Amino acid sequence: MKKKKSLSYAKWGYIFVAPATIAFLIFSLYPILFTAVLGFTDFKGVATTTFHFLKDPFENYKAILSSGLFRKALANTFGMWICNFIPQIGLALLLAAWFTRTHHNLKGQGAFKVLMYMPNIITAATVAILFNALFGYPMGPVNDILVKLGIFAKPVEMLRNKMVARGVIVFIQFWMWYGYTMIVLISGILGISPEIFESAAIDGANGWQTFWKITIPNIRTILLFTLVTSLIGGLQMFDIPRLFQNGNPDNATLTTSLFIYNQAFSGSYMYNRASAASMIMFVIICFFSAIMFYFLRDKDEIAENKIMRRQEKEYRKQLKAQKRMEAGR
Amino acid sequence: MNRKKLDLRSIEYLVCILLAVLSIFPFWIMIVNATRSTTQIQQHAISMIPSTYALNNFKVLTGKSFKPIVGFTNSLIISIGATACAVYFSTMTAYGLVVYRWRGRQAYFTAVMAVMMIPAQITMIGFYQMMYRLHLTNRLSMLILPAIASPTMIFFMRQYMVGALSLEIVQSARIDGAGEFRIFNQIALPIMKPAIATQAIFSFVSSWNDLFRPLVLLTNQKKYTMPIMVSLLRGDIYKTEYGSVYLGLTLTVIPLMIVYFLLSKYIIAGVALGSVKG
Amino acid sequence: MKKLALAFACTAMAASVLGMTAMADDNVINVWAFTDEVPGMIEKFKEAHPDFGYEINSTIIATTEGAYQPALDQALMAGGEEAPDIYCAEAAFVLKYTQGDMAPFAAAYKDLGIDVDTLLSEGDIAQYTVDIGTNPDGNLVGLGYQATGGAFIYRRSIAKDVWGTDDPAEIATKIGPGWEKFFEAAAELKEKGYGIVSGDGDIWHAVENSSDAGWIVDGKLHIDPKREEFLDLSKQLKDNGYHNDTQDWQDAWFADMKGEGEKQIFGFFGPAWLINYTLAPNCGGEAVGEGTYGDWAICEPPIGFFWGGTWVLANKDTAKADAVGQIIQWITLDTSEDGLQYKWANGTLNGEGGTKDAVASGTVMAKSDGTLDFLGGQNMFDVFVPANQFANGKNLTQYDETINMYWRDQVREYTAGNKTREEALEGFKQQVSENLGIEAE
Repeated sequence: MKKKKSLSYAKWGYIFVAPATIAFLIFSLYPILFTAVLGFTDFKGVATTTFHFLKDPFENYKAILSSGLFRKALANTFGMWICNFIPQIGLALLLAAWFTRTHHNLKGQGAFKVLMYMPNIITAATVAILFNALFGYPMGPVNDILVKLGIFAKPVEMLRNKMVARGVIVFIQFWMWYGYTMIVLISGILGISPEIFESAAIDGANGWQTFWKITIPNIRTILLFTLVTSLIGGLQMFDIPRLFQNGNPDNATLTTSLFIYNQAFSGSYMYNRASAASMIMFVIICFFSAIMFYFLRDKDEIAENKIMRRQEKEYRKQLKAQKRMEAGR
Repeated sequence: MNRKKLDLRSIEYLVCILLAVLSIFPFWIMIVNATRSTTQIQQHAISMIPSTYALNNFKVLTGKSFKPIVGFTNSLIISIGATACAVYFSTMTAYGLVVYRWRGRQAYFTAVMAVMMIPAQITMIGFYQMMYRLHLTNRLSMLILPAIASPTMIFFMRQYMVGALSLEIVQSARIDGAGEFRIFNQIALPIMKPAIATQAIFSFVSSWNDLFRPLVLLTNQKKYTMPIMVSLLRGDIYKTEYGSVYLGLTLTVIPLMIVYFLLSKYIIAGVALGSVKG
Repeated sequence: MKKLALAFACTAMAASVLGMTAMADDNVINVWAFTDEVPGMIEKFKEAHPDFGYEINSTIIATTEGAYQPALDQALMAGGEEAPDIYCAEAAFVLKYTQGDMAPFAAAYKDLGIDVDTLLSEGDIAQYTVDIGTNPDGNLVGLGYQATGGAFIYRRSIAKDVWGTDDPAEIATKIGPGWEKFFEAAAELKEKGYGIVSGDGDIWHAVENSSDAGWIVDGKLHIDPKREEFLDLSKQLKDNGYHNDTQDWQDAWFADMKGEGEKQIFGFFGPAWLINYTLAPNCGGEAVGEGTYGDWAICEPPIGFFWGGTWVLANKDTAKADAVGQIIQWITLDTSEDGLQYKWANGTLNGEGGTKDAVASGTVMAKSDGTLDFLGGQNMFDVFVPANQFANGKNLTQYDETINMYWRDQVREYTAGNKTREEALEGFKQQVSENLGIEAE
């Protein structure tokens, strides 16, 4: 009887996870499989709906992997991500260290945090177009300032320079995300047990030593988490390069997402090649996710075991309660 | 306090103030230029003082198929719909994972973590082709329903629920004769409120700001979302109307800023909360 | 379970409500265009026909960012009530919609109730717009209302300063024929501190549409020698400082029309529409003496070319074929004085004194007057009518807009000194092959 009861509860578990599972199967898994299949076909052209499998199933993959543009896009994407991530994490760490200091606290921290985080919630599309307008030529605000300050003798069409165009995108990414990273790191640092800091202080460690020897090792997982999520986010960069310069000049700001979009949804609509490129990106992202989960793995298992143990306890309690009730009756 | 400390602190304040200004400055230029005429902007692109051409710019803007109210409404429908779906069903899934013991539960949770990092962009070609074949493009609902499956949120909700929901409460509710769904809706959901609030805000913002999926799926301008309308602002035909471009950008930013400054305390707390999940 | 069912019912209901809003009213005609020109015309058509009874819902997406085509393609493919009924295509991509990938969506004019053959001959419609608008089955599916033969449009004051005359016949012999004479003129202008054109984009359109073959020949990328020469012409302009190095459709380009660029610019290459829609609104004035208004004249260009033009097409699935047919006929084939083309040519569509344009119908051109104050009283049709002989569809391909974008970008890289000529050509071929799947010859 009791056994039956617990079995009937198990049924509810399936019911509760069903909607999300069904939605996932329809809206994620099927599209992924469909994309994967299309990568092996000749499916292209704007008005076509039929496709055939290729004789050489990896033809599209070969085309993408040997594509100079795809490689360039990949290099740009990684390059722009690294250039934004290093200063971003550096500044975020610095600010986090300042904001979590127990002595000589900075005043107005709350307001600073609110303002520094603000760019993160603004629509990326808006930000891209705004920066495009700010760098306008011949008379955009940036040109206006630089000419007024005497740095430029006359307005310069800055965005035609590849490094400037990339630099602005890097800056936008940095500017939109350092506040977020900072807040994440602050919460990580605040999560460290104060006793560790106290004992360090007793041992006579100065601020610098404490930071490197105590703070950093203790927020290792959070740093890793930030790194990987930022990387995966960076690999999907689309709105900003598309609307800022549409990948130009000379594809200097072409990212992989933009490449895939251009392949699939413009020009001659090469869904097949774009699918292959998507799958390549999928593999890259899986690789980085796997690295992260490898490092985070232990922690989760521990948490898992804890829950299991508690549920066991719960279960025993429940049995006891039932017994008591039966006895009472 | 010695002199060195003082200097260091003033440097720290200086850096913080600079960064704060950097956050505001571009938006300030944008808002001011939204009120200036294109001619004024072309003479001096930077001004701190607003002018009087906002209405004029608005007329130019609406003449360019930029319909702020349509875009706003569509974005709102999608964002609210997607957020509601994501929050409710993710909590429900988490509940299924935490409260019940069923075969495959562990594997299910591992699978959730595994698919967490799959970005929508990777699936887009298959998704678009599926929608196209079923004649479901241009349906806002097709941007809402996929939110029912939000692995990241399921993960977060589960982590939070493990700590927040005691199974004793569930048990005693059962003894009182409550059905499983009633327990979930009336007991678990209220307990999850803080997590729901946090996740709802992020889900809303990311849905509101999404460009990629709407751009691919929506072709009817009555269905355009705010980011799509923004994306079309840059294209000008016979001359660049900067005043109206800035105004269009401002119209998209202002609602976000209002919401942000009203809720900033919770949002920032939410970011901090969300990060501990690692 | 009830709650679950309820939740599903709610989402399903929400979905169906959202789906419902996709239903359109029966009397709405959806118009897609890349400028407000055609939607504006249709508004006028409605004013002239109060009992027409249809509402117009227009979608205008500029082509400057390459955004129009993908959006239009997807809207056509999506179909349904909200699909475009009437859509416009520009010369740079019209072939895709009349003869290329998207041709299956275009309705034959005759299926819209238009008596094509009679009207074509009555109107003496320019043959090239008919050729471009005819699909592979031989049916006419699109027509333009303009004739877009090009001229050289120059500043009278600068001509007088340099050569002592602003007479179009004489200026034509200074700047042409041929690029060699053009560059001689550029050198003369430079001595006086003027630039001959604003940017290399100005000569590109002349180069592009004077070439013998288009970008694609037998499915392969073909770089016509005349188009390849553009690399050298552009380099020559840049190295000698003959222009302000602007990009067309960007602010600096517009500024040169006002005479507010780095140096004063002598002229622009363009058809009649460039005068009405670009030069006039950007000249910094609305009457003689204001800005550069009235300081312009046009003459025969160093090489014959045409540029642009809008073709009007209808969706074969439109549920309002008759109404759509009426509009299209009025725009493209009604050559009476009540028709669009007459009003368009004489600038009377929006009341007297509007902008004038060269139109596709020879019949209309014969009874129209192209005198413009903007051109100092010159009759522009004197130059544009002969220029229209250069307009043809022979060197157009369906991917021109995209391919041109790649080409112009690579040429800029070469002229800026970032790439060698070879590298630029390679970069160009690579982009075409990888983005469009079209290999080089």
